[in-house]
Amino acid sequence: MKLRRVVLLLAAAAALSFLFGASGHRDAWPVDWFLIAVAAVAREGNFVKAVLTGASAGLLEDALTQPMLGFNAFAKSAIGYGLALVAMRVVLGGAVAVGAALALASLANDAIVAVLASLLMQAPIVLGTRESLWRAATTGITAGMLEAAAKFPWREWWEKRRLRRLR
Amino acid sequence: MLLSVLVACVLLLSAQAPARNRSGSVLRSWILSAVAPAASAVSAVSRAATGAVDSVGQTLRAADENAVLREKLAARDRELFHLRAVAAQAERDRLLAAAAPSMPNVLVSAPVLLIERRAGLQSALVGAGSREGAVEGSPLAVAEGLVGRVVSVGISIARAQLLTDASAAVGARIARTGELGVVRGDGRGGLRLNNVPITSSVRAGDDIESAGIDGIYPRGVPIGRVESVARGSNLFLEIRLHPAADFSRLTDVLVLAPSPASTEVPAGPRSASP
Repeated sequence: MKLRRVVLLLAAAAALSFLFGASGHRDAWPVDWFLIAVAAVAREGNFVKAVLTGASAGLLEDALTQPMLGFNAFAKSAIGYGLALVAMRVVLGGAVAVGAALALASLANDAIVAVLASLLMQAPIVLGTRESLWRAATTGITAGMLEAAAKFPWREWWEKRRLRRLR
Repeated sequence: MLLSVLVACVLLLSAQAPARNRSGSVLRSWILSAVAPAASAVSAVSRAATGAVDSVGQTLRAADENAVLREKLAARDRELFHLRAVAAQAERDRLLAAAAPSMPNVLVSAPVLLIERRAGLQSALVGAGSREGAVEGSPLAVAEGLVGRVVSVGISIARAQLLTDASAAVGARIARTGELGVVRGDGRGGLRLNNVPITSSVRAGDDIESAGIDGIYPRGVPIGRVESVARGSNLFLEIRLHPAADFSRLTDVLVLAPSPASTEVPAGPRSASP
Protein backbone atom coordinates (compact mmCIF):
# COMPACT_ATOMS: atom_id res chain seq x y z
CA MET A 1 0.00 0.00 0.00
CA LYS A 2 1.40 3.36 -1.00
CA LEU A 3 2.08 6.10 1.50
CA ARG A 4 -0.70 8.28 0.13
CA ARG A 5 -3.23 5.52 0.62
CA VAL A 6 -2.03 4.93 4.16
CA VAL A 7 -2.39 8.64 4.91
CA LEU A 8 -5.86 8.64 3.38
CA LEU A 9 -6.75 5.58 5.44
CA LEU A 10 -5.66 7.28 8.66
CA ALA A 11 -7.50 10.47 7.72
CA ALA A 12 -10.62 8.43 7.06
CA ALA A 13 -10.23 6.68 10.41
CA ALA A 14 -9.89 10.02 12.20
CA ALA A 15 -12.89 11.43 10.34
CA LEU A 16 -15.02 8.39 11.21
CA SER A 17 -13.91 8.57 14.84
CA PHE A 18 -15.04 12.18 15.01
CA LEU A 19 -18.22 11.49 13.07
CA PHE A 20 -19.34 8.80 15.49
CA GLY A 21 -17.64 10.31 18.53
CA ALA A 22 -19.57 13.56 18.37
CA SER A 23 -22.89 11.76 18.40
CA GLY A 24 -24.87 11.39 21.59
CA HIS A 25 -25.28 7.72 20.67
CA ARG A 26 -21.56 7.09 20.37
CA ASP A 27 -21.71 4.15 22.74
CA ALA A 28 -24.17 2.30 20.54
CA TRP A 29 -21.49 1.27 18.02
CA PRO A 30 -18.04 2.26 19.34
CA VAL A 31 -15.72 1.08 16.59
CA ASP A 32 -11.93 1.44 16.84
CA TRP A 33 -11.47 2.84 13.34
CA PHE A 34 -7.73 3.38 13.83
CA LEU A 35 -7.27 -0.30 14.57
CA ILE A 36 -9.12 -1.24 11.40
CA ALA A 37 -6.83 1.10 9.44
CA VAL A 38 -3.76 -0.52 10.98
CA ALA A 39 -5.10 -3.99 10.21
CA ALA A 40 -5.80 -3.01 6.60
CA VAL A 41 -2.13 -2.10 6.17
CA ALA A 42 -0.74 -4.97 8.26
CA ARG A 43 -2.56 -7.69 6.36
CA GLU A 44 -0.24 -7.10 3.41
CA GLY A 45 2.53 -8.61 5.53
CA ASN A 46 4.93 -5.66 5.37
CA PHE A 47 6.29 -5.30 8.92
CA VAL A 48 7.79 -1.85 8.49
CA LYS A 49 4.63 -0.36 7.08
CA ALA A 50 2.45 -2.12 9.64
CA VAL A 51 4.48 -0.89 12.58
CA LEU A 52 4.80 2.66 11.26
CA THR A 53 1.10 2.83 10.48
CA GLY A 54 0.32 1.50 13.96
CA ALA A 55 2.58 4.11 15.52
CA SER A 56 1.06 6.93 13.47
CA ALA A 57 -2.52 5.89 14.14
CA GLY A 58 -1.77 5.38 17.83
CA LEU A 59 -0.04 8.73 18.17
CA LEU A 60 -2.97 10.45 16.52
CA GLU A 61 -5.35 8.68 18.86
CA ASP A 62 -3.18 9.46 21.87
CA ALA A 63 -2.98 13.12 20.91
CA LEU A 64 -6.74 13.28 20.79
CA THR A 65 -7.74 11.30 23.81
CA GLN A 66 -5.01 9.94 26.02
CA PRO A 67 -3.25 11.55 28.97
CA MET A 68 0.17 10.48 27.68
CA LEU A 69 1.41 10.23 24.12
CA GLY A 70 2.46 6.72 23.32
CA PHE A 71 -0.05 4.39 24.96
CA ASN A 72 -1.94 3.59 21.80
CA ALA A 73 1.11 4.17 19.61
CA PHE A 74 2.89 1.37 21.47
CA ALA A 75 -0.16 -0.87 21.48
CA LYS A 76 -1.04 -0.37 17.85
CA SER A 77 2.58 -0.77 16.69
CA ALA A 78 2.72 -4.10 18.49
CA ILE A 79 -0.64 -5.11 17.10
CA GLY A 80 0.39 -4.02 13.60
CA TYR A 81 3.50 -6.18 13.90
CA GLY A 82 1.45 -9.09 15.22
CA LEU A 83 -1.12 -8.85 12.46
CA ALA A 84 1.59 -8.59 9.81
CA LEU A 85 3.21 -11.70 11.31
CA VAL A 86 -0.11 -13.56 11.18
CA ALA A 87 -0.69 -12.36 7.62
CA MET A 88 2.73 -13.72 6.64
CA ARG A 89 2.12 -17.13 8.16
CA VAL A 90 -1.52 -17.76 7.32
CA VAL A 91 -3.95 -16.52 4.78
CA LEU A 92 -6.01 -14.08 6.78
CA GLY A 93 -9.20 -13.93 4.77
CA GLY A 94 -12.92 -14.25 5.20
CA ALA A 95 -15.22 -12.02 7.15
CA VAL A 96 -15.34 -14.21 10.24
CA ALA A 97 -11.58 -14.67 10.50
CA VAL A 98 -10.89 -10.97 9.99
CA GLY A 99 -13.64 -10.01 12.43
CA ALA A 100 -12.35 -12.38 15.10
CA ALA A 101 -8.76 -11.18 14.59
CA LEU A 102 -9.80 -7.55 14.95
CA ALA A 103 -11.92 -8.26 18.02
CA LEU A 104 -8.95 -9.96 19.67
CA ALA A 105 -6.68 -7.13 18.56
CA SER A 106 -9.03 -4.60 20.15
CA LEU A 107 -8.93 -6.49 23.45
CA ALA A 108 -5.14 -6.72 23.19
CA ASN A 109 -4.96 -2.99 22.55
CA ASP A 110 -6.95 -2.33 25.73
CA ALA A 111 -4.78 -4.71 27.74
CA ILE A 112 -1.54 -3.10 26.55
CA VAL A 113 -2.86 0.40 27.28
CA ALA A 114 -4.04 -0.71 30.73
CA VAL A 115 -0.64 -2.19 31.59
CA LEU A 116 1.21 0.89 30.32
CA ALA A 117 -1.12 3.23 32.24
CA SER A 118 -0.60 1.14 35.33
CA LEU A 119 3.18 1.22 34.96
CA LEU A 120 3.55 4.86 34.03
CA MET A 121 0.63 6.53 35.79
CA GLN A 122 -0.01 4.14 38.64
CA ALA A 123 -3.57 3.88 37.36
CA PRO A 124 -5.47 0.77 38.40
CA ILE A 125 -5.60 -1.91 35.74
CA VAL A 126 -9.14 -1.98 34.43
CA LEU A 127 -9.80 -4.78 31.99
CA GLY A 128 -12.81 -6.57 30.60
CA THR A 129 -15.23 -3.71 31.06
CA ARG A 130 -18.52 -3.76 29.23
CA GLU A 131 -17.35 -0.88 27.00
CA SER A 132 -14.14 -2.70 26.17
CA LEU A 133 -15.92 -5.92 25.24
CA TRP A 134 -18.55 -4.10 23.25
CA ARG A 135 -15.92 -2.11 21.35
CA ALA A 136 -14.07 -5.33 20.55
CA ALA A 137 -17.30 -6.87 19.29
CA THR A 138 -18.31 -3.87 17.19
CA THR A 139 -14.80 -3.46 15.80
CA GLY A 140 -14.74 -7.13 14.85
CA ILE A 141 -18.19 -7.06 13.28
CA THR A 142 -17.44 -3.86 11.36
CA ALA A 143 -14.13 -5.22 10.11
CA GLY A 144 -15.84 -8.45 9.08
CA MET A 145 -18.50 -6.55 7.20
CA LEU A 146 -15.91 -4.39 5.45
CA GLU A 147 -13.97 -7.52 4.51
CA ALA A 148 -17.11 -9.15 3.16
CA ALA A 149 -17.98 -6.00 1.21
CA ALA A 150 -14.45 -5.76 -0.18
CA LYS A 151 -14.45 -9.38 -1.29
CA PHE A 152 -17.96 -9.37 -2.71
CA PRO A 153 -17.98 -9.64 -6.53
CA TRP A 154 -19.87 -6.41 -7.10
CA ARG A 155 -19.11 -6.28 -10.83
CA GLU A 156 -20.53 -9.77 -11.51
CA TRP A 157 -23.48 -9.10 -9.29
CA TRP A 158 -24.24 -5.89 -11.15
CA GLU A 159 -23.88 -7.62 -14.52
CA LYS A 160 -26.20 -10.45 -13.47
CA ARG A 161 -28.71 -7.96 -12.21
CA ARG A 162 -28.58 -6.04 -15.48
CA LEU A 163 -29.05 -9.20 -17.55
CA ARG A 164 -31.95 -10.30 -15.37
CA ARG A 165 -33.64 -6.99 -16.00
CA LEU A 166 -33.11 -7.22 -19.75
CA ARG A 167 -34.80 -10.62 -19.96
CA MET B 1 -89.09 24.15 -62.83
CA LEU B 2 -92.39 23.09 -61.37
CA LEU B 3 -90.69 20.70 -59.14
CA SER B 4 -88.38 23.39 -57.94
CA VAL B 5 -91.21 25.70 -57.20
CA LEU B 6 -93.08 22.99 -55.37
CA VAL B 7 -90.11 22.09 -53.29
CA ALA B 8 -89.54 25.73 -52.47
CA CYS B 9 -93.12 26.09 -51.42
CA VAL B 10 -92.99 23.01 -49.29
CA LEU B 11 -89.85 24.31 -47.68
CA LEU B 12 -91.39 27.66 -47.08
CA LEU B 13 -94.45 26.12 -45.58
CA SER B 14 -92.51 23.78 -43.51
CA ALA B 15 -90.35 26.57 -42.28
CA GLN B 16 -93.46 28.21 -40.93
CA ALA B 17 -95.12 25.09 -39.59
CA PRO B 18 -94.46 24.37 -35.92
CA ALA B 19 -92.67 21.14 -35.14
CA ARG B 20 -94.61 18.43 -33.28
CA ASN B 21 -94.00 18.54 -29.56
CA ARG B 22 -90.95 20.64 -30.18
CA SER B 23 -90.06 24.26 -30.18
CA GLY B 24 -88.95 25.68 -33.55
CA SER B 25 -89.98 24.71 -37.03
CA VAL B 26 -90.06 21.38 -38.83
CA LEU B 27 -87.40 22.57 -41.27
CA ARG B 28 -85.12 23.59 -38.47
CA SER B 29 -85.82 20.30 -36.80
CA TRP B 30 -84.98 18.44 -40.00
CA ILE B 31 -81.83 20.45 -40.48
CA LEU B 32 -80.79 19.93 -36.92
CA SER B 33 -81.55 16.23 -37.13
CA ALA B 34 -79.51 15.95 -40.31
CA VAL B 35 -76.62 17.93 -38.99
CA ALA B 36 -76.58 16.36 -35.54
CA PRO B 37 -74.53 13.22 -36.32
CA ALA B 38 -71.95 15.13 -38.28
CA ALA B 39 -71.80 17.82 -35.64
CA SER B 40 -71.49 15.23 -32.95
CA ALA B 41 -68.76 13.41 -34.84
CA VAL B 42 -66.84 16.55 -35.60
CA SER B 43 -67.32 17.75 -32.08
CA ALA B 44 -66.10 14.45 -30.70
CA VAL B 45 -63.04 14.56 -32.90
CA SER B 46 -62.45 18.15 -31.92
CA ARG B 47 -62.83 17.33 -28.25
CA ALA B 48 -60.54 14.35 -28.61
CA ALA B 49 -57.94 16.41 -30.41
CA THR B 50 -58.23 19.24 -27.92
CA GLY B 51 -58.10 16.75 -25.09
CA ALA B 52 -55.04 15.11 -26.56
CA VAL B 53 -53.30 18.43 -27.02
CA ASP B 54 -54.35 19.48 -23.55
CA SER B 55 -53.20 16.22 -22.03
CA VAL B 56 -49.85 16.46 -23.80
CA GLY B 57 -49.50 19.99 -22.53
CA GLN B 58 -50.61 18.97 -19.08
CA THR B 59 -48.20 16.06 -19.10
CA LEU B 60 -45.38 18.35 -20.06
CA ARG B 61 -46.47 20.90 -17.50
CA ALA B 62 -46.91 18.14 -14.92
CA ALA B 63 -43.41 16.86 -15.59
CA ASP B 64 -42.02 20.34 -15.11
CA GLU B 65 -44.24 20.88 -12.11
CA ASN B 66 -43.21 17.50 -10.74
CA ALA B 67 -39.55 18.38 -11.05
CA VAL B 68 -40.16 21.74 -9.37
CA LEU B 69 -42.18 20.08 -6.60
CA ARG B 70 -39.49 17.46 -6.10
CA GLU B 71 -36.91 20.17 -5.76
CA LYS B 72 -39.14 22.04 -3.34
CA LEU B 73 -39.76 18.87 -1.36
CA ALA B 74 -36.05 18.11 -1.23
CA ALA B 75 -35.39 21.68 -0.10
CA ARG B 76 -38.10 21.35 2.54
CA ASP B 77 -36.63 18.03 3.68
CA ARG B 78 -33.22 19.61 3.99
CA GLU B 79 -34.72 22.54 5.83
CA LEU B 80 -36.63 20.18 8.12
CA PHE B 81 -33.50 18.17 8.82
CA HIS B 82 -31.59 21.36 9.55
CA LEU B 83 -34.39 22.72 11.73
CA ARG B 84 -34.60 19.49 13.67
CA ALA B 85 -30.88 19.64 14.31
CA VAL B 86 -31.17 23.30 15.28
CA ALA B 87 -34.12 22.54 17.54
CA ALA B 88 -32.27 19.68 19.21
CA GLN B 89 -29.22 21.89 19.68
CA ALA B 90 -31.42 24.72 20.98
CA GLU B 91 -33.03 22.33 23.46
CA ARG B 92 -29.60 21.23 24.69
CA ASP B 93 -28.47 24.85 24.86
CA ARG B 94 -31.63 25.73 26.77
CA LEU B 95 -31.00 22.97 29.29
CA LEU B 96 -27.40 24.09 29.67
CA ALA B 97 -28.42 27.76 29.90
CA ALA B 98 -30.95 26.82 32.57
CA ALA B 99 -28.20 25.07 34.48
CA ALA B 100 -25.64 27.81 33.97
CA PRO B 101 -26.88 30.08 36.77
CA SER B 102 -26.53 27.22 39.22
CA MET B 103 -22.91 26.71 38.20
CA PRO B 104 -20.25 29.14 39.32
CA ASN B 105 -18.09 31.01 36.83
CA VAL B 106 -19.42 29.51 33.64
CA LEU B 107 -17.15 30.45 30.74
CA VAL B 108 -18.87 28.88 27.80
CA SER B 109 -20.83 25.86 26.68
CA ALA B 110 -18.95 23.54 24.36
CA PRO B 111 -19.79 20.49 22.28
CA VAL B 112 -18.24 17.14 23.12
CA LEU B 113 -16.38 16.02 20.01
CA LEU B 114 -15.09 12.66 21.08
CA ILE B 115 -15.13 10.40 24.11
CA GLU B 116 -12.60 7.65 24.63
CA ARG B 117 -13.01 4.92 27.20
CA ARG B 118 -10.11 2.55 27.14
CA ALA B 119 -8.62 0.48 29.91
CA GLY B 120 -9.90 2.69 32.70
CA LEU B 121 -8.73 5.88 31.04
CA GLN B 122 -11.78 7.94 30.24
CA SER B 123 -11.32 11.21 28.42
CA ALA B 124 -13.19 13.60 26.19
CA LEU B 125 -12.36 16.11 23.53
CA VAL B 126 -14.42 19.30 23.83
CA GLY B 127 -14.84 22.07 21.31
CA ALA B 128 -13.59 24.95 23.44
CA GLY B 129 -10.02 26.05 23.96
CA SER B 130 -7.88 28.94 25.09
CA ARG B 131 -9.78 31.25 22.71
CA GLU B 132 -12.93 30.63 24.74
CA GLY B 133 -11.10 31.05 28.02
CA ALA B 134 -10.59 27.39 28.91
CA VAL B 135 -7.38 26.66 30.79
CA GLU B 136 -5.85 23.52 32.23
CA GLY B 137 -7.92 22.59 35.22
CA SER B 138 -11.17 24.18 34.03
CA PRO B 139 -13.98 22.05 35.43
CA LEU B 140 -16.62 20.71 33.09
CA ALA B 141 -20.23 20.26 34.09
CA VAL B 142 -23.67 19.62 32.70
CA ALA B 143 -27.06 20.51 34.13
CA GLU B 144 -27.05 17.40 36.31
CA GLY B 145 -23.57 17.78 37.77
CA LEU B 146 -19.81 17.61 37.37
CA VAL B 147 -18.32 15.85 34.37
CA GLY B 148 -14.56 16.30 34.67
CA ARG B 149 -11.79 18.78 34.09
CA VAL B 150 -9.71 20.08 31.23
CA VAL B 151 -6.20 18.63 31.20
CA SER B 152 -4.72 20.07 28.01
CA VAL B 153 -5.82 23.04 25.97
CA GLY B 154 -5.51 23.98 22.31
CA ILE B 155 -6.69 27.15 20.67
CA SER B 156 -10.21 25.93 20.03
CA ILE B 157 -10.18 22.43 21.42
CA ALA B 158 -9.36 20.88 24.77
CA ARG B 159 -8.87 17.41 26.16
CA ALA B 160 -10.61 16.60 29.38
CA GLN B 161 -10.37 13.87 31.97
CA LEU B 162 -13.77 12.53 32.91
CA LEU B 163 -14.70 11.96 36.54
CA THR B 164 -15.12 8.29 35.80
CA ASP B 165 -11.46 7.96 34.77
CA ALA B 166 -9.63 5.54 37.04
CA SER B 167 -7.15 8.21 38.06
CA ALA B 168 -9.60 11.12 38.51
CA ALA B 169 -10.33 12.49 41.98
CA VAL B 170 -12.53 15.24 43.40
CA GLY B 171 -12.77 16.62 46.90
CA ALA B 172 -16.37 15.89 47.90
CA ARG B 173 -18.77 16.27 50.76
CA ILE B 174 -21.94 14.52 51.75
CA ALA B 175 -24.63 17.18 51.33
CA ARG B 176 -26.74 15.94 54.27
CA THR B 177 -24.03 15.57 56.87
CA GLY B 178 -21.27 17.82 55.52
CA GLU B 179 -18.65 15.09 55.92
CA LEU B 180 -15.74 15.24 53.51
CA GLY B 181 -14.27 12.56 51.33
CA VAL B 182 -12.63 11.99 47.97
CA VAL B 183 -14.59 10.83 44.96
CA ARG B 184 -12.62 8.68 42.55
CA GLY B 185 -13.58 7.17 39.23
CA ASP B 186 -13.48 3.40 38.98
CA GLY B 187 -12.63 3.35 35.27
CA ARG B 188 -15.81 1.47 34.51
CA GLY B 189 -18.28 4.32 34.45
CA GLY B 190 -18.94 4.42 38.19
CA LEU B 191 -17.66 6.48 41.11
CA ARG B 192 -16.45 5.71 44.61
CA LEU B 193 -16.40 7.94 47.65
CA ASN B 194 -13.26 7.24 49.64
CA ASN B 195 -11.89 8.40 52.95
CA VAL B 196 -15.21 8.45 54.75
CA PRO B 197 -14.76 6.92 58.22
CA ILE B 198 -16.89 4.01 59.38
CA THR B 199 -18.39 6.28 62.05
CA SER B 200 -20.15 8.28 59.32
CA SER B 201 -23.94 8.16 59.06
CA VAL B 202 -23.89 8.23 55.26
CA ARG B 203 -26.57 6.07 53.68
CA ALA B 204 -27.84 5.11 50.25
CA GLY B 205 -29.60 7.98 48.53
CA ASP B 206 -27.43 10.74 50.03
CA ASP B 207 -26.38 13.41 47.58
CA ILE B 208 -22.67 14.00 47.12
CA GLU B 209 -21.39 17.35 45.90
CA SER B 210 -18.01 18.91 45.30
CA ALA B 211 -16.40 20.29 48.43
CA GLY B 212 -14.23 22.92 46.79
CA ILE B 213 -11.20 21.80 48.77
CA ASP B 214 -9.09 20.62 45.89
CA GLY B 215 -8.51 24.00 44.28
CA ILE B 216 -9.95 22.78 40.98
CA TYR B 217 -13.62 22.11 41.33
CA PRO B 218 -16.01 24.70 42.72
CA ARG B 219 -17.98 23.95 45.84
CA GLY B 220 -21.53 22.64 45.80
CA VAL B 221 -21.81 21.14 42.33
CA PRO B 222 -23.58 17.75 42.36
CA ILE B 223 -21.35 14.75 41.73
CA GLY B 224 -23.62 11.81 42.35
CA ARG B 225 -25.84 9.90 44.72
CA VAL B 226 -24.84 7.16 47.14
CA GLU B 227 -25.78 3.80 45.68
CA SER B 228 -24.42 1.47 48.35
CA VAL B 229 -22.44 1.66 51.57
CA ALA B 230 -20.34 -1.22 52.80
CA ARG B 231 -17.91 -1.74 55.63
CA GLY B 232 -14.42 -1.72 54.20
CA SER B 233 -11.44 -3.73 55.32
CA ASN B 234 -9.97 -0.80 57.24
CA LEU B 235 -11.31 2.26 59.00
CA PHE B 236 -13.10 3.64 55.97
CA LEU B 237 -16.39 2.81 54.34
CA GLU B 238 -16.65 1.54 50.78
CA ILE B 239 -19.18 3.80 49.18
CA ARG B 240 -20.35 3.45 45.60
CA LEU B 241 -21.92 6.41 43.83
CA HIS B 242 -24.18 6.73 40.86
CA PRO B 243 -22.88 9.71 38.83
CA ALA B 244 -25.24 12.68 38.61
CA ALA B 245 -24.25 13.34 35.00
CA ASP B 246 -25.17 10.83 32.32
CA PHE B 247 -21.74 10.09 30.86
CA SER B 248 -23.16 7.95 28.10
CA ARG B 249 -25.12 10.85 26.63
CA LEU B 250 -22.70 13.74 26.82
CA THR B 251 -23.17 16.04 23.87
CA ASP B 252 -22.50 19.50 25.33
CA VAL B 253 -20.81 20.63 28.51
CA LEU B 254 -20.36 23.86 30.43
CA VAL B 255 -16.76 24.95 30.84
CA LEU B 256 -16.25 26.58 34.23
CA ALA B 257 -13.42 28.76 35.37
CA PRO B 258 -11.03 26.99 37.74
CA SER B 259 -12.40 27.80 41.10
CA PRO B 260 -10.68 28.55 44.39
CA ALA B 261 -12.00 26.79 47.44
CA SER B 262 -13.96 29.85 48.48
CA THR B 263 -16.38 29.73 45.54
CA GLU B 264 -19.82 28.67 46.68
CA VAL B 265 -22.77 27.83 44.50
CA PRO B 266 -25.62 30.22 45.32
CA ALA B 267 -28.47 28.51 47.12
CA GLY B 268 -32.17 28.98 46.43
CA PRO B 269 -33.29 30.70 43.26
CA ARG B 270 -30.37 30.70 40.86
CA SER B 271 -30.21 34.02 39.09
CA ALA B 272 -26.60 34.54 38.20
CA SER B 273 -25.96 34.86 34.50
CA PRO B 274 -23.28 32.83 32.76
